[in-house]
Amino acid sequence: MNKISNINLGGFPFTIDEDAFNHLDKYLKTIHKHFGKSDSYEEITTDIETRMAELFQDKLEDRPIVTLPDVKNVILTMGTPEDFGAEDVFMDEAPKSSGKWKIKTGKRLFRNPEHEAIAGVCSGIAAYFGIQDALWVRLLFILLAFTGGFAVVVYIILWAVLPKAESSSDRLAMRGEQANVENISKIIEEELDHVTKKVSEIGEELKSEFHSKKKVSAGRMMPKAKAQRPLSEIISVQPLPKGFMF
Amino acid sequence: MKVQNLLENTKQQMRKGILELCIMSIISDEGEAYPSDIITRLQESQLIVVQGTMYPLLARLKSAGLLNYTWKESDAGPPRKYYALTDGGSEFLDGLMGTWGQLVKAVKHSTKNLKVNK
Repeated sequence: MNKISNINLGGFPFTIDEDAFNHLDKYLKTIHKHFGKSDSYEEITTDIETRMAELFQDKLEDRPIVTLPDVKNVILTMGTPEDFGAEDVFMDEAPKSSGKWKIKTGKRLFRNPEHEAIAGVCSGIAAYFGIQDALWVRLLFILLAFTGGFAVVVYIILWAVLPKAESSSDRLAMRGEQANVENISKIIEEELDHVTKKVSEIGEELKSEFHSKKKVSAGRMMPKAKAQRPLSEIISVQPLPKGFMF
Repeated sequence: MKVQNLLENTKQQMRKGILELCIMSIISDEGEAYPSDIITRLQESQLIVVQGTMYPLLARLKSAGLLNYTWKESDAGPPRKYYALTDGGSEFLDGLMGTWGQLVKAVKHSTKNLKVNK
């Protein structure tokens, strides 16, 4: 069983399965992003959408609903932005590689808000250098902090200077991956996982909170267990020692 | 690996110029051409790999003033764009064809003793 939606693609109406719709939507978003800077943005994207609609019509014949294999097939025929590499859309503003000091690694240094202890500086550095666990970078910073406190200054400067990796494409640039359909969907899936985990954690916490309150109202004045207290309370009671800033 | 990339790059460069020539010749041949029909003819000649490549190219030729298009009603679905060469486009195509003739001669002359393994 599958949910369906009705869409208008290039002026043609289609009934499309939900999974097929999501795949198509992802693809069109990368197309729109790819041509976003072109002067003929409207023109190219409408033409591509119209052509895709024609291809769907040819594929469907008498079938009523567009399915995932149809979408995959049409995308294969149209090609992805990487395949368009031969056709340079940005001819007026081609990247100037004449700069003597320009080193392009394809990666950018960001603060990583997904795995942060303080501000995500260390985990951003870890992502930049491809270090699997940000713990090593953190340990290095802590070690340096004890040997003269220089690292504290460096950390604060980096915190101020580095941008936070806010969007999906920022996060891909942080790891040095290209922004194509597969990678962006990978990031989105990771984000969803992250959110689901957070939600279930909060759910658990609320449940235990609720239970303890019930016990209190029942007249059994039990002291609250330490783990059931909200995190902010624990932190405010026990300030962390200075060395643990990282 | 590096040689492979270089080869792909050179192939792309070669195709790129020729694709322009072919698209413009097809349009000139048809008088007024619908992009999907251009694609059909290009696929017959196995020149394009993915169809999406053609649309940015058409847009570029149009904004350079070599092509223009008119909207025409269609039997099924929304109106369609039909592309035609402008006067500048015809001149451009003549220039390309002239160069192409020279290139064919040059390549034939330079490679006449070359034995290809495939």
